[in-house]
Amino acid sequence: MTATADSKTAESTVSAPFFLRGELLEGHDVSQRSRDLGVTFTTPRIPMNRLVHPRGEVPPLLDVPLTEIIDFLAETGRRLADPGNGFMADCLDRMSATHPLPRAMLRAQVEDAAAYLDKRLLWAVVEQNFPDPRVLDEWVPKQDFTGRKSFVRAFPPRLIHVLPGNAPGTAARCIAQAALVKAVNLFKMPSSDPFTTVAILRTMAEIDPGHPIVRSMSAVYWRGGDETIERVLYRPQYFDKIVAWGGGDAIDNVIKYLGPGFQLISFDPKTSVSMVGRQAFDSDSALDDAAALAADDVMVLNQEACVASRFIFLEANQEQADRFCVRLHARITGRASASGDARPLDTDLREQIDSLAMLDDEFGVWGRTDGTGLVIRSDQPVDFHPINKTANVVRVDSLDEAVKYVNVATQTVGFYPFDRMATYRDRLASAGAQRIVHLGEAGPSTIGNPHDAMYPLHRFVHWMAHEDGTAPTA
Amino acid sequence: MNSAIQRLTSLADAEDRFDYSHEELRETQLLAVDERFQERKERIKLLGHRAREAGVTAIRTYEDLVPLLFPHTAYKSYPESFLVEEKWDRLGKWLGTVSPHPISPIDTADITGIDDWIARLHATGHHVTCTSGTTGKPAMLLSSDRDLDWSRRDAVAVFAWGSGVPPEQDRRMAGLGASATAPRNTAIGNALLAAYADPAKPRLGLPIPPITVGSMTTMIALRKKVADGTADPQQLADYERTSRERQETMDKALVVGAEMLVQHRDEKLYLSGMWAILYQVAKIVRDMGFSAADFHPENCLYVGGGLKGAQLPSDYEEFINQTFNLSDDGKFQMYSMQELNSGMPKCRKGNRYHVPPWVVPLILDESGETLLPHGSGEIEGRAAFFDLSLDGRWGGVISGDKIALDLGPCACGSKGPSIRDDIARYTEIKGDDKIACSGTVDAYVRGLA
Repeated sequence: MTATADSKTAESTVSAPFFLRGELLEGHDVSQRSRDLGVTFTTPRIPMNRLVHPRGEVPPLLDVPLTEIIDFLAETGRRLADPGNGFMADCLDRMSATHPLPRAMLRAQVEDAAAYLDKRLLWAVVEQNFPDPRVLDEWVPKQDFTGRKSFVRAFPPRLIHVLPGNAPGTAARCIAQAALVKAVNLFKMPSSDPFTTVAILRTMAEIDPGHPIVRSMSAVYWRGGDETIERVLYRPQYFDKIVAWGGGDAIDNVIKYLGPGFQLISFDPKTSVSMVGRQAFDSDSALDDAAALAADDVMVLNQEACVASRFIFLEANQEQADRFCVRLHARITGRASASGDARPLDTDLREQIDSLAMLDDEFGVWGRTDGTGLVIRSDQPVDFHPINKTANVVRVDSLDEAVKYVNVATQTVGFYPFDRMATYRDRLASAGAQRIVHLGEAGPSTIGNPHDAMYPLHRFVHWMAHEDGTAPTA
Repeated sequence: MNSAIQRLTSLADAEDRFDYSHEELRETQLLAVDERFQERKERIKLLGHRAREAGVTAIRTYEDLVPLLFPHTAYKSYPESFLVEEKWDRLGKWLGTVSPHPISPIDTADITGIDDWIARLHATGHHVTCTSGTTGKPAMLLSSDRDLDWSRRDAVAVFAWGSGVPPEQDRRMAGLGASATAPRNTAIGNALLAAYADPAKPRLGLPIPPITVGSMTTMIALRKKVADGTADPQQLADYERTSRERQETMDKALVVGAEMLVQHRDEKLYLSGMWAILYQVAKIVRDMGFSAADFHPENCLYVGGGLKGAQLPSDYEEFINQTFNLSDDGKFQMYSMQELNSGMPKCRKGNRYHVPPWVVPLILDESGETLLPHGSGEIEGRAAFFDLSLDGRWGGVISGDKIALDLGPCACGSKGPSIRDDIARYTEIKGDDKIACSGTVDAYVRGLA
């Protein structure tokens, strides 16, 4: 299976084929628009009946052992990592047209995705989510203290995944997690990346086109909120749960379809921050370290990721804060230019930052609003969302004051120095935060750890009980 | 007259002001824009900054002008904390970065709130109009005394041209809607009243308190507290109660409004308001058993704004006509925005909004960064304008509107540039298909505008 030649009429616009339970569907029936770059791409019309696995048939993966699923995913990982994989190369070509991130960063995302499909890693994910992973493979017998017996099974669910567009590597994770719980899946792809999911699924189909994993997966694109699609599909008769990323309109659209039997598992939109203690000024090398680590966290996926830091609360006086800002700015611009990313800032953001620069007795601004990287120093967080290589250093007298800026939308808090983390973690959790990490390590996490304050796989499955009477008393 | 600005603004009283073609105006307009730029570039701090960034020292082409246009959001680029925490001196300093006329410090020690602050600036000749931002902070637009004088004259001239109704002080004015206490709106309202109202017939209005800037900022402050997690449940309960009471007051006021109109139905009326409220009042009038035949045949109507998100039946306009006995003549709509100082009236034959000679229309791409080719025929894109009549702030602004501009003559016979009557807001047509795991606490704030 290789990418077939596009028809002449559609040559100028990039096309996004669909994947339907093992089969590729190409077509140029519908013209779509990528929201980030405003470019047009074409898709086939959605064949509704092929997206839904009838409830009268058990899920294809039900009786496939987890070991076999994990072996299959690991083989997929090897093939994704192979530079000779035509599907992924073609996917990157197409994506360069619709995605705001530079190609090299997108390539790195594919490598990350491949690395996630690792046997040991996937086992660890399962074991962290399920105290007894056997529930995924069989009806596990149990008995309570009254003598009552039963079997429990983590039965494969029917899931719709509304995928995020900012981090293409997420597609591989979602596919893997969906396969681990043996789900029947429909992936709704994002407009900035209507390609990666299909490219991964085609790589899988090449291993074995008839494999139950492949027959459990569909990936299509429609414009989020399109009632002609969502009113049809978002029903408990077809799906159990919708796994959605993001907030605002994306979630509002989903919420109106929720009801008995059709639940939402949401990965909420998040803001991440850093907290840097006064120890950063103990020595010149400490200052350099802290600035470098803070820049690492700001620049995760060039600040497109939810783990990427946007506000850095710094325990300092203004003179110290300014020294920190100079170094932070140098690090950010260095990384920005190395990545070849000079996307200009949105007009609205530019206006607000220019305004702050003009109020220079209260704010400090390092860099220009031209997309090369910026640092803003203020005494409280700016009231816009710093994005596109923009860091807001908020000067505080004590990190205790910074805790009040942590809220229910705060995901990761990067900390420096590391030995102060334990003092803050309870207060941060109480305020709403979900992770506290060493400054500079916003990206990595312990395999299988909770995400968005939950163990997601545990929530995906359809927990089914088979009650089996009471054991005879002795 | 040596000044190009004067040559264009002096056309304000000319009968044929909408009859100058783009070709005739182009050169003078560019001269006038440059004239204004030279005179203002050192006086408006933000303009100077923009000019230096773009390396523009003179405006000889439209392309030179584009990087110097202020996006409409520039007028709300101040930090929200200045407003919420009532830092009047800071807000004044920010205002100074967009003002060509120095704002001398006023005593802010005993200021009781934003309305008080605005009143004190007003007393010093700086008139601040706040837009009712539906999300977040309001834009703050400065006008000078000259601007208000201009608006008064322009409003009457534009209404007379667009509606064909001469200002003969022979009507009873009826304003259906909440009036915002904005200096420019007040100036325009009073000018129209003086020109059209019979001095013996007092203006009718709805019995509702005016929308103050303070009431808007109270809501912004509450929204911020909700986002921060510092708003307590009782505050939200109070807010819900206030909202409900406000709605009840409005519902009652509409009935009173309908009764007033019925009572004065045999008089020649000058109605004004927004479509949504006009429709609701019309419905009540119908329910009371009155319609077109009961009203004066020479009534006229001034409709402001679009539908602003209101859900109305498709025949709402006809329904209103058939209620108040309105003909196509005598019904007036215009295109303008708080960012401008002049109106663009809709003609009756071509159904297009006409751009006066002292307003330079430009069409940019959707992002607002690049000028689209201004050849001939209709050009569609993001609307930008340079209003040469503006004195109290920079005249160049990039709007949030998508418009179609025709530089050629209109079907009504006027030769000047005109705009099609299907103006849309980019924020409303764009939708939101952006799904990302990164986002802000805004997504967690429910139930407050």
